Amino acid sequence: MTILTGKAETVGRRRPEGGGLLRKIWDHRADYGYVLPAIAVMLIVIAYPIYYTIELSFFATPPGLQLRDKVFVGLNNYTAILTSPVFWTVTKNTLIWTVASTFLSFVLGFACALALHRDFLGRGILRAILIIPWVISAVAASYIWKWIYHSDFGIIGAVLVALGWTDRPPNFIDSVSTVLPSLIVVNIWREFPFAMIMMMAGLQTVPDQLLRAAKVDGANAWQRFWHVTFPHLRNVSTVTILLLAVANFNSFIIPWIMTGGGPSNASHIWITHIYELAFGRQRWGVASAYSVLLFVILMSLGYFYVRALSGNEQKDGAE
Amino acid sequence: MTAMTDTVARRPSSRRRQIDGWRWSGRIFLVFMLLYTALPMVWMLITSIKSGFAAMQFPPQWWPDQPTLASYEKLLDPQNSVGQDFLHFFWNSLFVSTTTTILSVIVAVPAAYAFSRFTFPGRNFLFFAVLLRNMFPAVIFLVPLFILMRAIGLVNTHGSLVLTYLTFGLPLAIWLLKGFYDNIPVQLEQAARIDGATRFQAFVLIVMPLSTPGIIATAIYSFIGAWNEYIYAYTFLSKNEQLTLPVGIQRFFSENTTDFPGLMAASFMMSVPVVVLFLLLQRYFVRALTEGAVKH
Repeated sequence: MTILTGKAETVGRRRPEGGGLLRKIWDHRADYGYVLPAIAVMLIVIAYPIYYTIELSFFATPPGLQLRDKVFVGLNNYTAILTSPVFWTVTKNTLIWTVASTFLSFVLGFACALALHRDFLGRGILRAILIIPWVISAVAASYIWKWIYHSDFGIIGAVLVALGWTDRPPNFIDSVSTVLPSLIVVNIWREFPFAMIMMMAGLQTVPDQLLRAAKVDGANAWQRFWHVTFPHLRNVSTVTILLLAVANFNSFIIPWIMTGGGPSNASHIWITHIYELAFGRQRWGVASAYSVLLFVILMSLGYFYVRALSGNEQKDGAE
Repeated sequence: MTAMTDTVARRPSSRRRQIDGWRWSGRIFLVFMLLYTALPMVWMLITSIKSGFAAMQFPPQWWPDQPTLASYEKLLDPQNSVGQDFLHFFWNSLFVSTTTTILSVIVAVPAAYAFSRFTFPGRNFLFFAVLLRNMFPAVIFLVPLFILMRAIGLVNTHGSLVLTYLTFGLPLAIWLLKGFYDNIPVQLEQAARIDGATRFQAFVLIVMPLSTPGIIATAIYSFIGAWNEYIYAYTFLSKNEQLTLPVGIQRFFSENTTDFPGLMAASFMMSVPVVVLFLLLQRYFVRALTEGAVKH
């Protein structure tokens, strides 16, 4: 869809001028000055590293990162990844982490936005408190929750014991079976406010008249939500879910600080694993190959991201 | 007759009961979310005013027997080494975040304006290329950027951080601001130019003031992002006196693993500047999202 209209545009634009693309670029040369700083920064910090990562993924580089001594190894780094059992554990963890965090953050955030949409006493304060976890640093959040989950002096364990549910405080982040869900709770704590802000902004664009008209026509609260509010929010929801998914897929700080990927890889996700391979074990080639794979996955996610955003663009143009 | 008035009277009340059901479940849900959000922070504050000994007790003291501000005094006292380090980290964070914020506004404003107003070839491609930056995790860029920074001599300087932080603030900043400029009528500028203003004057005098909320929102976003960033700072800086707060605190407490009151006090003080900044300016942020990003 997007590609088609894009082509039609350039063809339509080019014909009346008759000078070709170069001429057009020359005509608009002053315009590029405005975007040049942004593009320059992006090129240095993004394009160059991407190129370099791809190159490194075909080489074995010595631990000290002496680039002159690197040896070409072809696809060995890639086969090493796909044949290692850790790869599958980490991939499974990443999937659970990303899907659970994204889904729950979105649902909780959206529900908060709906509940906060109507004005009531103390709404502003409540909204402000709910946003705070999103603002504070993930490092601080990790330490706060690490202390809450502490196996000897953690408050959750103490409450459970005080209520008589268990005899001993449970080991939340030191046990293979509970570590991932425990970290997901922390991640949602930090992420749901973002969904809430986005959906609150989205809710403000739903026309009141439509809701009132639906009410007059006898639609109940659920029907009004499902047939009026929700269709209006489809675009915002898509963008929010994609941004959340990408952020979760890319998270590093919470698992890294709280568990470092342990116990026995139970909380390693792709990013922490790559970091450990590169800067912990100094296996630069394998880490780069991992990054390239990650890159491919993200590009396919990026396709949907751009589609969702350009959906916005096109509606914009139509208006 | 009475039966009829009965049914007439009953229907609205049953509907009201239904609405009340939704409203009450909404309230209960909000209370639950409030507890989920606030209790960890409350526990952080309570722990931070305990002595090290009081924190390590089971069952815990729900409220400390002898509340003390000792942890805060220790962190803010420039006389001892802990306080010296903490204040150093604090200033480093402030310097890096402020520089990043100023630069990202300077770079993002003209770019967003151009993406909104001009139709140069490759505009869409460049716009989406900028947005795609959001997709990629820091770790992918870490090794090559480390090599790059080493090559241009920026390792162990704050410049390396400012340069990298710029890029992850920029995409959202440009996207938000572009939405703003899209909503400002071109006629306003045209009128100014007919009155003799140059394009630049029209931009500075007419467009910039109208997009102030967007610029403020962009600035907050960049500042918070830079203030909280951890991975690059962790990798690029190794000298103790250069560390920013997140890394500094982590280094410090990996050596003193049992000082939880100190750790909580440090976490609290690290959060104060960004939380205060955000709460003061949050209405701009929500407005910018509504006008810039969502309403299209």
